Amino acid sequence: MTAPGMFVGVPKNANRRDHQMFKRLFAAPVQVSAHCDLPCGIYDPAQAKIEAESVKACMVKAAASGDADFKARALSIKEERSDLVKHHLWVLWTDYFKPPHFEKYPQLNTLFNEATKLAGAGGTKSSWDVGVADQLLAKIDEIAVVFWETKKAA
Amino acid sequence: MTQRKFGIARVHGRSMEPTLHEGDRLLVLYGARPRCGRLAVVRLPNDAAGIPRPLAVKRLTRRDPEGGDGWWVERDNPREGLDSWTVGAIPAAGIRARVLLRVPDRFHFPVPARLR
Repeated sequence: MTAPGMFVGVPKNANRRDHQMFKRLFAAPVQVSAHCDLPCGIYDPAQAKIEAESVKACMVKAAASGDADFKARALSIKEERSDLVKHHLWVLWTDYFKPPHFEKYPQLNTLFNEATKLAGAGGTKSSWDVGVADQLLAKIDEIAVVFWETKKAA
Repeated sequence: MTQRKFGIARVHGRSMEPTLHEGDRLLVLYGARPRCGRLAVVRLPNDAAGIPRPLAVKRLTRRDPEGGDGWWVERDNPREGLDSWTVGAIPAAGIRARVLLRVPDRFHFPVPARLR
């Protein structure tokens, strides 16, 4: 695969004059990313964290703006991405963590329960309190600590 | 202003689905004036560790809500990717090219076979 932003190819057999003309009109082909920071299909609490950070950004940016349209957009993005936080946490909870993990880290179920609640209707989905978003981020960090311990042990 | 130049950009990733898909080729115009509502090739700000993010394709949805000269960009796919709701507004200098069109699959760019 070509690295992002790297050269992909030029016409091979254009003669020199055509080639100069081509270079004046055309830039070298590039790859543009429409991607997250993380490779897809890999378990990582960072996915939940990225969405939780944008939930917090919605609260901060909406509070700083006087534009009703922007606030409305922030509201819908905040609800959508709060759900995404839950989704990414559920994937970890149900797909990544195995019974031995729950034995070794008995607090895990409670951590997930509290984190998903903080992203839910009683949490960032309805609240505009940045403190709630910070609690959610802290809870995801606690889960991440356990996650990386299990990764190291594996 | 940057010299205007055409270019071909190849899409990688899913954050602009369903508009764009992995492997799509786009005809872009570098140095073109950004247009609200259109797609653009943008340079996202470096991540928290200071590591540069790749060039990206995003939709310009509004000017910087804090009144700067930059743009607010969003992903088309609500479920995946990064956008201004994570990284903030993109400064005007970070808007590199306007996406003019998606090259139909039957054309093989940069040069169609019959023109070689």
